[in-house]
This record gives sequence, structure tokens and C-alpha cells, in this order.
Amino acid sequence: MASTSKDVPAVVIQDNPPDDLEPGACHDSILNPTDSFEEFASEMSSSLQERNISLATKSSTISEIQSEIGENSAPMKPTKSSDDLQTKDESISASTSNSNLTEQNGDDTDTEKDDYLQSPELVNKEKHVFILSSAGKPIYSRYGNEDKLAGLCGVIQALVSVVEEQNQDILRSISTNDCKAVFLVKGPLILVAVSKSDESETQLVLQLTYAFNQIVSVLTLTQLNRIFEQRRNYDLRRLLSGAERLIDHLLIFMEKDPAFLLGAVRCLPLPEKARENITNAIQTTCNKIRDLVFAIMLAGNQLITLVRMKKYTLHPSDIHLLFNLVRSSESFKTAESWTPICLPKFDSTGFLHGHVSYISEDCQACLLLLTVQRDAFFPLSQAKHTIADKLRRSNCLVAINDALNRNEELPTTNPLKHIGIPEIRHFMYKCKSTAQLFTSDPISLDKLQDYRLRHKEGGDIMEKKVEKLSDIDYVRNYRKFCSSIHCTSTPAKLIFRSNSCDTILAWVTNGFELYVTFDPLMEKDQAIKAVDRLLKWIKKEEQRIFIMHAPTF
Amino acid sequence: MIDVKAKISSFFIFNSSFGPREGEELQRILYFYPSQTSADSQKMQVGLCEAVIKFMSTFSQKPCEALRTQTKKYIFYQPEKGYWMVLVVRIPYTTKAMSAIGESKGTDFVIPSVMFDLLKSSYKMFRMFRGLFKNFSIEEIYSVCDQFFTPYILSRNISNDVADVIQGINYLPLDKNSFFKVLCFIDLLELNYPQFKCISFIYNEQLIWNGLDTDDMLTLYQYLVQSLLPKEVEKEIHGGAVAAAQRHGRFIYPPEGNQEEKLMKVYLKREEDSEAKQYYLVVYRTMSATICLTVDVNVEVQPEMLRSLDAFIGPQLSTIASTIGEQCTIHALQTAQLLSEHKFVYFNRLNLAFKTSPSVTKLHPSTAVKPEVLSIIADIHTDKKRYVHLGNYGEIIIKTPDEYWITGKSSNDREFYVIIQEKNANLKEIADEVRRICETQMKGIFFYPM
Repeated sequence: MASTSKDVPAVVIQDNPPDDLEPGACHDSILNPTDSFEEFASEMSSSLQERNISLATKSSTISEIQSEIGENSAPMKPTKSSDDLQTKDESISASTSNSNLTEQNGDDTDTEKDDYLQSPELVNKEKHVFILSSAGKPIYSRYGNEDKLAGLCGVIQALVSVVEEQNQDILRSISTNDCKAVFLVKGPLILVAVSKSDESETQLVLQLTYAFNQIVSVLTLTQLNRIFEQRRNYDLRRLLSGAERLIDHLLIFMEKDPAFLLGAVRCLPLPEKARENITNAIQTTCNKIRDLVFAIMLAGNQLITLVRMKKYTLHPSDIHLLFNLVRSSESFKTAESWTPICLPKFDSTGFLHGHVSYISEDCQACLLLLTVQRDAFFPLSQAKHTIADKLRRSNCLVAINDALNRNEELPTTNPLKHIGIPEIRHFMYKCKSTAQLFTSDPISLDKLQDYRLRHKEGGDIMEKKVEKLSDIDYVRNYRKFCSSIHCTSTPAKLIFRSNSCDTILAWVTNGFELYVTFDPLMEKDQAIKAVDRLLKWIKKEEQRIFIMHAPTF
Repeated sequence: MIDVKAKISSFFIFNSSFGPREGEELQRILYFYPSQTSADSQKMQVGLCEAVIKFMSTFSQKPCEALRTQTKKYIFYQPEKGYWMVLVVRIPYTTKAMSAIGESKGTDFVIPSVMFDLLKSSYKMFRMFRGLFKNFSIEEIYSVCDQFFTPYILSRNISNDVADVIQGINYLPLDKNSFFKVLCFIDLLELNYPQFKCISFIYNEQLIWNGLDTDDMLTLYQYLVQSLLPKEVEKEIHGGAVAAAQRHGRFIYPPEGNQEEKLMKVYLKREEDSEAKQYYLVVYRTMSATICLTVDVNVEVQPEMLRSLDAFIGPQLSTIASTIGEQCTIHALQTAQLLSEHKFVYFNRLNLAFKTSPSVTKLHPSTAVKPEVLSIIADIHTDKKRYVHLGNYGEIIIKTPDEYWITGKSSNDREFYVIIQEKNANLKEIADEVRRICETQMKGIFFYPM
């Protein structure tokens, strides 16, 4: 297909200032800005054979680092959990053997399963997520008790294998007018989302991939594969206790935060100087610790800074998993922790070891120091205290707290008011080259909390009356726009849609993606002017909104 | 042009209750295209569909619509309870190996909504000429389906045109006097022959009068315009002008000779009917005018009756037809002045009226609408509620990477689309151009100002 990549943003806004770079772009990105949609498109078009190969061959970045540092990379010690595997009892293999039959004929197991699926725990949910092993054994269900879903999992496994074995094909999705079931086979796991939301198939597959990565992050892909090579019928839940909670949180997180939709990372808006001081504090303290791969500081699902070993970058999806880990683990707040973390995009074969702690009682910024050394807790703990002291002395903690508490005086707290464009109700901007995003109204932690409370009964579909849209609703509205912009067969560069509720503009150029909600029936020339002003403002504030440097140790 | 036969991997109809026990799977399959498919493969495909339908029924009350695998798309349609029609289409896809050597998917991909419409209209055609599936006994249904669907599928062409994406009826605009003449003629006819009811009046391929439920009208219209009339026009050309000059007009249905035996039964819902009933269909044609009449099946249609009808209709219809013919010539001259350089489409959901810019494709084949653009229009047209959500009034403008601007406007139940290819335009200029086209081409039709 002919694509005109030499496109300039000025197509719509002809009086755009001739800046060198679009707002937020810099020559040096701290993140690996691979577009997850593009990555996805290629993944989704891989054939059956290619899929099997791609999971098997991947070199280990971690051992590469270890050998560079000159350390003998000892073969990974069998962890406690895989010992567990050896002594596993054999009794759990019964349930899957008859799974093929349930699909062919409606017999008793089927009716039993139907009853449970119609129970209040499961019926009327907006989005189900099921994870099972390729042998059909349940591993995770977002709602209800996965034990009772053995029948359903049998059916899923049978569907997947019938399409693969008899048709030499891959099952992708099934849809009705109001519901989509999306299937993803990853290594030894089958992941399924059954959704009544308006997310596209690609967006759902992306979420399933994240769920898979979350499991990999707890186990490593190597271990996951080995477990099922040794025992196809293994009950993975034994190894994943605790990870269910991470997946639960991740699913909510993904439904709300546009960071996932755009494959970008949100940064905590900070004065340029403050961010520089923080980065310096980390660099000067850690440059002697030679095994340290990444030092990441984050707060409230927003990145403050990231210092990395030369040559290695982090993918936004790995950062999202770290956000999720920090956000889901209350225990990090009370004590310094030492935890193995596998970052699937960075290296899915092994663990990094992470020192995780909050900077201080009075500042909710969390510092992660990731190393390849298994026993570096004490030097890293030492480093953390040094950093915390430096930050306190340079007043950085105050700056972080101001940003977190959304101090009224900051321009980024209420950007729409600050720019003074009353006809814009909401916007979201992604700088493509650095994979960072900024929205007019960051979804704060307490709002997520609200959302979770509202969905306490568990993501039921509710007929709600819309009085005032929350930022989450705005992002929901952008989903369809986002998927048509990124549609592989018929992509769009610009969508302008106006109706009696609102006017939405979605616009993608080589450098950025922008989604804006205006008042209804907005005049086009006014919209053009407003977008122009918005882009100028983002450019002006880019040092504050985005991380413009890519510091290394 | 998309070669439908090459795209359709298979097409089948099944009803699981026809062979409820194991070993009887083949009985469930009422029809399978291509028929040379092995029994095992037929069973397997139908079995997969049954399983998929059952799986989705645990999550949704709505019937299953589609199954997508890496290489195929299965489109489901359940017109009557338990009867499933499934169309399996190959979808182009690139493997990593293929994209590495720079080979991309062809532009001949099939728009899902077009395939669904194909499925639906095949059923509606079946229902019009054969009736409901459930009225057939198990003994009959296999052969009935085979006799109907095999020729139907083989005769269908999807030309990748807007008319396939938005299925509507081309109405002929007439001045008051001419339209009044048509109405008077129909009234007089129905008054003199009370058993007959005029259900449609078509000039060339354009509809002037409709006495059917709009949904059935679309089916009858498609049958006439796509299948029956082209054949008749062909005959007229080969038959020469002499035969036509001798007589005022002729019956297409029932054809000359043995008329009472060749009466054709159809199931139709007339405007005043609450449900579809069986009628005899009578089609009469003179010059370029075609009228369709229905007669209740309980009425015995005598040859004398038809002769008398012929004597009544013939002279009157030819007078009207020539008046309309003059009108059309004037109209054609007027529209020629309004010729738009950009492609536009108008559609009204209430009466299915469909109008498009004079087909430039015949003059410049290169200006045929690209399938990607059509696909976007199909999305706007079909996905009205969920994504575009234009509601009673709204507008959407989409720009594609290859500089096509597609605009869709909605005002109550009316839709208007314009396709503009313009490299250095901005949103405002496109919107102004669309407004201009709308005003000149759709004079007298109200669109909310946007």
C-alpha cells in the first residue's frame, strides 16, 4: 500500500510554527519507542509455524550484561517453585482428557458449566479474561472461581485445537453484535477475552499480551516453557499465587489509562531543574555500582526519571508492568524490598533483581534499582538512602509532592485553564519518538480507586446516565478513533467527528498522535486554531511535561 | 471487480436439529457450496460453526455473527430459528516472510458488510421465491436449496462499487404532471382490475412507484434490475425493433403461451399487509417501462383476463413511457451541467433512496473508488451507532494516508458521502467543498448546517 511518509503536520494547520521537532520530541529517547500497534500487526499476521518458532528463539540480554561485567553467569539455579514441580502429584490430569468431547455434544458437563456462567458472579460482566494452559487447565479467570470453569476451559481448548490441527489455521476471534471473544495462544498458554466493551480486536489482543507478560514477569518465559514441557497438565496456579492480584489490577489499569491505548508512558510534570537534580542525584550515587542496569523513579503511575546502562533501553510495556507492580503492592510502602522481576520485552528469559522502596514517609515517589546481581541488596539500600538525602536537600521532594498533589499554581495541573481554550474539553497527546504522553487531566490514583469501587461488584455493565464525563469516559471515547487510525487495512491520518454530544479530532503525523474533544458542532476553522494553540503550549511546556534527556550511568 | 467465486471459500446452510444424534451430522447440512467438498470436510466445518455458536451463546443473547481465523472469515446469519447460513471468505494476509520481501496484501480485500449483505440478500431472494425454510419438509429442503442457491451464488457479482456497500433504490425524479400521470394510470388500472394490485413502476432501472414494504421492495428491485431486466433488454435488442413496434408491450411474467401454468408465485409483503403473503407475480413491460402486479393466489387467472389487461395497459403505458422518456432527456441535460468532479453518494434510510454522482467510471476507469475508501464508507454507514455516532445530525471527515478525504454527513435518516482526493487541503476547505456539493447536487433536501 502506498504510504506517504513524508507527510508534514501542516496539512491541517498550515500556519503551524516551523519548529524543528514536534512538541516533546528529542533526539535521545529514554524509552524504546517501538509502536506497539505496529509490532502487534506483525505479530497478528504471523502464521502458525512462525508463531511457534518466535517464542523459542530469543537471546538473553541479562547474560549478555553479566558477561560484559565479567562475571561468570552461573546457570540459573532451579528455584523453589520448580522443585515443587518435581514432586507434583499426578492426580490433576483427569479433567482435560474429555475436553474434546464436550465440544462435540452437549452433555452433562456442559449444562453444569452453563449454570455457573449464568450465576451472578459471572453474568453481565463487561469483560471476562480467562487464562488456561494449552492442555485446557484453568489458570486465571477475572471473575468467579476458575475451578468451576474447567468445562468452559475445555471448550476453549477444543476450539483452539480444532482450528489449529484440522484447519491448519489460527483462531482469532468470534463476535456477535454486542460481544467479542478474542483468542491468543502464547507459548504454553491460551488467553481469551470475552468483551462487551467497544474495544477493537487488536486492543483486546494487546491486553491479553500484557496479561501474558505479567505472568512471564513473575516466572520468566524460560521457566514457563520448561514447566509445561515437563508436565503438560501442570496446574500453574501453584506458581502464580499472588500474581492473580497483579493481573486483576493490570486489567483495570489497562481499561482506564490511555498509556496502554497509545503504547506510551506518562511522566510526572516537573520543573526542568527539579528533574535534572533528581537525575543527577541518581547518576552520581549509582555510577560506581557496576551491575546496576536501570534506576527508575516513579510516582502515581507516572515516570519521574529513568537512568540506564548505556546500550540498553526499556520498552514502555515493561515500564507499565513496573507501574502495575508498584501500584499493586502495598508492602513496598512499609519496607525496602528485594524482589526478582522479569521484564519480558527486555529479557524474557531471566530475572533482574530489584531493590524497591519509597523515597520517604512524606513523599510517595518510588525508586526501583534493577540489577543483574543476585545479592546486591545492601549496596543498593545504601545508595537509596544517599539519593533520598540528596533529594531532600535539593528540595526535589517538595517539587514531586507539588506535582503529585496537583498544586493549583502549576501550569500542568489544569492545562486547559492555563492555555485558555474553553472550547477544548479534553485532550491527549503522544509524542511518538519518545513514547511519552500527556493528557489534559491525568487519571490520578484516587480516581482509579473510585473506579474500582464503582466496579466493586465486578465490572458489571451498567446503563449509566452521563451527567459529566470523567477523563476515563473521554479516553473510552477515543478508543474507537484510536483503532481506526491504526487499522492495518484502512488506516486514517485524521478523523474529525462532530455530533450533538461533542466534537472529536484524532490526528496522527509522523511525530505525534493527538486526540481532542471539543464542544459539539465545533466550527472547523476554530478547531484548527485551537489545536494550533494547544500544540504551541505543549511545545512551550515540553521540558516540564516530558523527559527530554536520556541519562545513562 | 472482485471475483466472488475466488473469494468465497465455502457457503453452507445447516440446522443442527435435522440430525441430532452422533453419526447424523451430514443430515444437518442443508446445502454446501462447493458441492464437491468431501463429506468429512463439510462435517468438520459445520461442526466448528456449531461449537462456536454454542460457545458465544453462553456470553451473549445475540446470535453469532462472525468467526475470524488467520486466513478466513466466517460470516453467520440466522434468518430463522435454528437455520444458519454461513459464508466463508478468504482474507488476504501477509506472513512475516512475505512482508520481508516487500510483498503486501492485494487491494482486493472484501468488505465484511458487503459479504454479510450478500448472505442476507440471498436469503431474502430465497424467501421471496421459495418461502420460509421451515415450510419445507426434511425430504424437500436439500433439493430446494440446491436448485435455488447454486445458480444464485454463481450469478452474483460484486463490483466493488458504492452500490454494493450501500444497498438502495434508484428513484426517478419526475415533474409533477408526469408523476401524476403515473399515479392516475395505476389508480385506473386497479379500479378496472380489482384483483390486480400494482406494486412497482420502474423506468429503465429507476423506480417511480412502490406498493411494497420497503424491505421487500429492495429485494424485488434488486431482482428486476440485476437479473430479470438485463436479460429482457438483451432479448429486445436481438429481437429487433420490428417486434416491439408491432405491439404496445408484453408480459414478461407469465410469458406468452400456457400462461395459467407459468404463473410465478412469490412471497411479498405489500404496504397494507401485516405479514408476507403468497401472490402471483405479473410483470409487464413496454418501451423502457416495467410494471409489476400482484394477484392473490386464490384468484384464478384466466388467459382472457391477461389479454384484456394487455389491451388496457399497453397503449396507456407506452404513452406514459414516452412522456417519461422526454423528461429523462431534459433531466440528463440538467445534471450534465452539474457534473461533479468528486464522487458523492446520497442515501435515505426511510425509503432506501440512493443517488450517486453520475458514473465517471465509464469515462475514466482509473477514478473507480478504491476499496480502502469504500471500506471506510462502509464503516460509517454500518457502524453508525457505535463509533461514528452521528445521530440525528452530525458529520465525520476522515483523511487517509494517500490523501483521500472522506466526508459523511447525517441529517435524521439521510446520509451524504463525498470522496475528495486533494493533496494540500485542510479541514476547512474540505468541509466547504462538501457543503457546496451538497447544496448543488441535493437541492431541496434538507441537511442540518454544520
